[in-house]
Amino acid sequence: MATEPFDVIIVGSGAAGATAAYVLTSLGARVCLLEAGRYYDPGRETPMFQRHGAAPLADAGTPDKPFGFYDGTVDGGWILPEEPYATAPGTEFRWFRARMLGGRTNHWGRVALRYANHDFKAYSLDGLGADWPFTYDEFAPWYDRAERMVGVFGTNEHLPDIPDSPPGCLQPPPVPRSYERLVIAGGHRLGRPVVASHEAVITQPLNGRLACFYASPCLRGCAIRANFQSPTVMLPPARASGRLTTITHAQVYEVDLAPDGSARGVHYVDRLTHRHHYLAGRAVMLGASAMESVRILFNSRSARFPDGIGAESGLLGRGVLDTPGSNVWGQFPQMEGLPPFNDDGVVSLPHIFIPWWLWPAQRAGRLPFARGYHIELYGGRTEPSAYTFDQFDVVSPLTYGKRLKEEARRYYGSFVRFSQRGEMIMRDSNRVVIDPQMKDAWGVPGLCFDVRWSEQELRQTAHAQLSMAEFIEASGGKLITPLPGNPAQAITPPGRMIHEVGGARAGSDPKKSVTDSHGRVWGVPNLYVIDGAVFPSSANKNPTLTIIAFAWRASEHLRKYLRKELRHA
Amino acid sequence: MPDRRETLTWLLRALALSAAPAVHIDSASASQGCAAAPAKPDRIGAAWRGDRGYGRDPDLLHPQVTWALTLAAQQKTAIASLADVFLPEDGSSPCASAVGVPDFIDEWVSAPYPQQQQDRVVVLEGLAALECDANAPLHTFDATQAQSLVARLHARAAEGGQPEARFFGRFRQLCLIGYYTSPVGVAELGYVGYQPSARFEGPPPEVLAKLGI
Repeated sequence: MATEPFDVIIVGSGAAGATAAYVLTSLGARVCLLEAGRYYDPGRETPMFQRHGAAPLADAGTPDKPFGFYDGTVDGGWILPEEPYATAPGTEFRWFRARMLGGRTNHWGRVALRYANHDFKAYSLDGLGADWPFTYDEFAPWYDRAERMVGVFGTNEHLPDIPDSPPGCLQPPPVPRSYERLVIAGGHRLGRPVVASHEAVITQPLNGRLACFYASPCLRGCAIRANFQSPTVMLPPARASGRLTTITHAQVYEVDLAPDGSARGVHYVDRLTHRHHYLAGRAVMLGASAMESVRILFNSRSARFPDGIGAESGLLGRGVLDTPGSNVWGQFPQMEGLPPFNDDGVVSLPHIFIPWWLWPAQRAGRLPFARGYHIELYGGRTEPSAYTFDQFDVVSPLTYGKRLKEEARRYYGSFVRFSQRGEMIMRDSNRVVIDPQMKDAWGVPGLCFDVRWSEQELRQTAHAQLSMAEFIEASGGKLITPLPGNPAQAITPPGRMIHEVGGARAGSDPKKSVTDSHGRVWGVPNLYVIDGAVFPSSANKNPTLTIIAFAWRASEHLRKYLRKELRHA
Repeated sequence: MPDRRETLTWLLRALALSAAPAVHIDSASASQGCAAAPAKPDRIGAAWRGDRGYGRDPDLLHPQVTWALTLAAQQKTAIASLADVFLPEDGSSPCASAVGVPDFIDEWVSAPYPQQQQDRVVVLEGLAALECDANAPLHTFDATQAQSLVARLHARAAEGGQPEARFFGRFRQLCLIGYYTSPVGVAELGYVGYQPSARFEGPPPEVLAKLGI
């Protein structure tokens, strides 16, 4: 346990904050990690092996537990009465929060894909959004570190949209499940790639963690530490260093600046006692989640920064991004009436995915939308749940009696959901602002969202819907979702994919960005934003791996800044 | 088409049931507008107060239903006889009431959450309308009477009767969920899993042959 003043105060214990805590303590810094939620121990708390039927409502989602009773998120959800937010009239924004040690790494789809160079430099290629302030080659060493620490299975396929990892980074993927093999065959017929997914689950022992044993859903968390959650992967070594102090229930709302303009501490409120506290440190890193970090910056007002730290460019809160998504369901007659067999695999996570295959055509200007998508697949013979019969009104309407039982046996396991996961174009008009009326239970002003899809995302979604239907047909399945003529009816509402990033984007020009290339807020030499807020663009690749790599890189940069003061460096 | 009188009866019953326990809805207590947004924003977070469910941090290792079960014994008897028509004993597996489907439906429609409260109205409305249609208390029905009642319900739903189709759909869905998430139902569908193993072997050869791969 270290004492004040800490070398580094880190706000948030999710992907970004836990990475920074791990890296900085390993480099000798004395770190205080502030987490708004409670302590959480997946080793003791994860409901491994509990069956859906043993949970209230057969484990169906509720406002209390949106992804089901057993889901790994505790003290979180879409609707937190103590923490309201607002949306501009006529808009919708879903904001999922997890107030717990490890944040949203505890419930995560665990798709861990690297951005390609064209993702970092998309603006230079098509003039939309903004570039990242570094190239793939400059950033890749931190992807390597992230993959080796997190533990990611996958393969190198030499595809234009998916960079290969150096040897020793990726672990072997599990073999495909039954329905996944049908889709691989379908992709072959279409001449489109279907390859191993990259997932943050280990199939071989790593750093004292056990390999996946292919039972119990990952989204509940993992008591054997085979999947990546920051409380089981990043925080134990940080704690073991003896240089980490963790304070839970600590909701940071303001960064305090010294007269010289540098950060010198944070104000936080204890969510249980409602008491306000001050904590001093030589540097501050914000990893509170993209929108919370932006909120903290907005709420850090002073004579020097009357509209909040980082607001001088007028870009703070602007460029909010999410992943456009849509679903199409297929029913596969080949899967009907199969003899019982274990098709669990890495439970609840896909073993394969369909990477964006049209990048070259898009680059050549042959598509009516500028950025791509990948496709994920879910389905097959999973444990019967409250959602197993969702498609029954379509395939077996109004049946009952013995016929219904026959149909249940016949159709069980034959459905596959195809899900588009796309890139949204960054636009300054998509933004959050502080709404002074929208105070949380601790009196801190909250956010108002104004985020809308554009024609770009809608055209992409229309394309994805048709592509997914083609995949179903080519794989021998039947399309059972009527494709809406209007993609606005298919696309998920902004925020729904829980990939919200942006709002404090990194860049190389203080007039066009909020932070420098290491996440350091322009004008404040020891204040870093290390979570998704820094994203100038959000590729069709789920953001967590890139957040981890960015936080790692920022932490190494901060260590240089602190070098003279570090005792153990 | 369903008989006008019958549909009307159904709707009148639905109105009578609107006194069923409802979830707290604090509709759109919008704030006075956020700093830079043009007009009144929509407030997110007011609709669900979360004061009667299992909460956001229940003990996941010891699941508990935290709400009172609200169906009367006669309602559960009625639900049992209907559920057994939807999912009867068939030589392969027992009927719905034998695996606890009526208890599951009671747990579901008694829950304080919005979806469950919506289903509560649909289910209780439907039961009341069926009773009215049969002109006798449902819980006194024997299996044959229940069978012909569901047959009539099915016929009306098939002819396009909206309330009938809605009840048929939701009631059937709840029967399916309750039945096939029970240990008996899980085995009946042939789900094999939850078996820790060092390797995932993938589908066996006979399955691959059937899939044509």
